[in-house]
Formats: sequence, structure tokens, C-alpha cells
Amino acid sequence: SRPPLSQPVCILADSRGIAGGPEVLSCLRLRHGVTTQVCSLGACDFIVSNRMAVERQTLSEISSSVNRGRLAERVRALQGSFDRVCLIVEKDRTKPGEVSRVFQRSRYYDSTLAALIRAGTRLLFSSGPEDTAALLAELARVEQRKSNAIAVPTEVKGQRHQTLQFYLTLPGVSYITALNMCHRFSSVWHLVNSAVEELAAGACVSRPRAEEIFRCLRYAFHPDLLPHRPAGG
Amino acid sequence: MEGTPVRIGAAPPYGHVIVNERWRGSAIVQGFQGKLKAIFEEGLGLVDFHLSDHSCVLYVSESGLVAGNGYRRKLVQFRKASKLDGIIVVEKTRLSEQYFPDVQKFVVFELGLTLLPVASQSEASQLIAQLVHDESKEESRNPFLRKKGAKLSEPVVLALQIPGVGRVKALALLRHFPSIYQLSNATAQQLEAVVGAATAQSVRGFFHTSLAPPR
Repeated sequence: SRPPLSQPVCILADSRGIAGGPEVLSCLRLRHGVTTQVCSLGACDFIVSNRMAVERQTLSEISSSVNRGRLAERVRALQGSFDRVCLIVEKDRTKPGEVSRVFQRSRYYDSTLAALIRAGTRLLFSSGPEDTAALLAELARVEQRKSNAIAVPTEVKGQRHQTLQFYLTLPGVSYITALNMCHRFSSVWHLVNSAVEELAAGACVSRPRAEEIFRCLRYAFHPDLLPHRPAGG
Repeated sequence: MEGTPVRIGAAPPYGHVIVNERWRGSAIVQGFQGKLKAIFEEGLGLVDFHLSDHSCVLYVSESGLVAGNGYRRKLVQFRKASKLDGIIVVEKTRLSEQYFPDVQKFVVFELGLTLLPVASQSEASQLIAQLVHDESKEESRNPFLRKKGAKLSEPVVLALQIPGVGRVKALALLRHFPSIYQLSNATAQQLEAVVGAATAQSVRGFFHTSLAPPR
């Protein structure tokens, strides 16, 4: 017996990713009734809750060794600012009339999957953009049932924009965490002077993450530790 | 199913996999040749392959998938019986692929287990060999795992985000108020003594402008 869904779920999508998948967004809106907001997320393709990032990769991208360095870097960056990281492996699209290529499973592909699982990444397999949208909507709903749904306004205007940039500079702070900070603290001063518990509750982050932010705000600057710049430069 | 559904504490030695007796002579086990040594055991219950002391594979065949919900009962029973990391390997073929979305939803979203599709038993063989191989690798060699140890965000980097504050003023301010916490609590007069009235106001404004109604 699931609790009744009082609010529609919300998903943030990266503005750079839309070129690659406009169907995913329209499908989310029209078929699944998901509120979507396009933002400059930078680090990931989608944010489905206060703690979960979703990266979308095609089967050919993930099975090509050329991409491994970039994929690894991206996954590591996501783990730096999200407690949950999910990867959707999507079947490559075929153009009309084109015969779909048979996927040749390689040892390399298997080793990538094994390493991703060991790194704690959740894997999902999709047959195309529509399927990907369904998976994203389901992820967001599961996260909503666990009380991690995105629940703040997702548009940033005026004064808040500058503040958002400041919060995004803090270590381990994702776009959704920065948004929560913007909306749940009455001022930057309020956030900077909050105790760890207050930070964790307001920013909707785990205690270790709140501790990291707390330390950073109180970390003292040492002029001697700056790299020396050439005189007159 | 008789006895315990899962045997806890099965730990294959290096380069080995513990295989449920029912897989003896199968294409999966034949595929291990030269890569993995199989140790056959009875009484593993629901588990088909033990990869290490904490992870195991449960196999769902094409026919199991097409036949209906028998596999679900098995997976729920496994989930309840143990805390092992269960990797569910499922045969996704042309015949069974229509059932795949439901299996994925069930395994990943409802049970929180890992699901990996394969097209045949020989693919499963390759995959299991790779999973075992990966289990024995050191964590530090995993390219997807973030190195522990927090990186520090320099107060200078943060101060540069304040409107009206460039590198020179950020350094000047932090020499007097070394952390963001101290900077946020500086009075207008204290700030003015360092950077002048206009910037002092800008810094105060940045910290104290009301952003949201306090809840």
C-alpha cells in the first residue's frame, strides 16, 4: 500500500544534454506528468532527488574504451557531490531503414560493468529515449516515497543567482543542494553561522557532507600557503 | 526448497567460483575454462554462483522469465534470507525481452538488487568470470571510485563569488578575516577599514540580504 502521491515529482535536466535527447524531456512531461526544469547542471544529465544523480550513456559509448577516461572522471565527480549515482545504459538509436547492429559484447564492456557495480553505481538498461524517461520517472517516484523528492522552486532569479554560484563553490555541493540552500536559509549569513545539524537539515544532505561544508566555511586562510607569483606580475 | 534458502559465509579462494551443483556440465561452467576454476557444492539453496564472501549471482533463464512469476518468489526469498550483494543475471533474448522492463522494475526498484542482462549462457560465463576477476582487484585500481580525502575549497575561491570582490580585495579581506565565517560576521566599520565603503556595503549586503522567508 503506497501513500497517495500528493505532489507531482520534479526532475532537473542539464541544458547541454537536451540536444541529445529532447524526446526524454517531452516524454517525462507529457506521458509521466513529471515537472522538468532545464538548468546548467554541468556535472550530470539529470537530478531526480535531493541526493541522486543520473547519467545517461549509450551502449556504444559505454562499451568503447576511448570513452573510459571521461566516463570515469564523470562518475567520480558525481560521487563527490551525490550520495546516489545511477547510470542508464541506453540502446543506440537506429535511423529509419537502418538495420539495427548486433551488439558485440566485449570483455571490456563486462569489466566496465563490474567496476561500476563495485564503485556502488546503480545500473539500469533502457531500450530507447521513451524507456529512459519511464526509468527516470520511476527513480524520482521511488525517491519521493523515501522523502528525498525535490521540493523547492527550481527557478533562480535575481539576488539568488549570485548566492547560488557561491554555494556551488562549496565542496561536495550539487546543484540541488545549492538550490535547497538558497530556499531554506534566510540569508547567506544564516547558512554560514548554522550548526552542522541545521546545515544537514536545511540543505537536505547527509551529516558527513554537512560536516565538510561546515569545516570549509570555518577554514582559515593562510597567505603563506598561496603559490608565489612573480614580482610585478 | 528444502533447508536454508541461502548459505552464508561461502568464500571461494582466489581465481575460483563456488557453483551450485545444478549447473554441472552447463554452458556457463564450460565457458569458465581457462579463466575460472569451478568448485561444485550442494546446499547453496537459491544462489547459483558465489563470487566472493559477500557477493553472489542468481540466474534467471529465458524460460524462467517467459514462464511467469516463479522467479519473483525466489528473488524475494533471497532478499529476505540474506544481506549478500545479489547480482541477478537475466537472459534477455528476442523471446524474453518484452518481459525485461518488468523484471528490471522489480529487481532494481522494489528489491534494490543489481540486474545485468545477457543474451546467452556463454555471455553469462564471460560476465561472471569478469565479476570474479574484479572482486579480487584492489579497490584503488577501480577507475570509478573516488579517492577519499576531502579537497579543500580555499576561502579565496569562495570570497571571489561575492559581488564587487576581485582577487586583490579577496586577499586583503581574508588577511583580516581569515575564514568565510569570520568575514560574514565582520561589521561595516571593520570592513571599511580594509576595502572602502562601497565594497564593504557590497560584502555586508551579500551576507545579509534576505533570500527566503525563514521557516
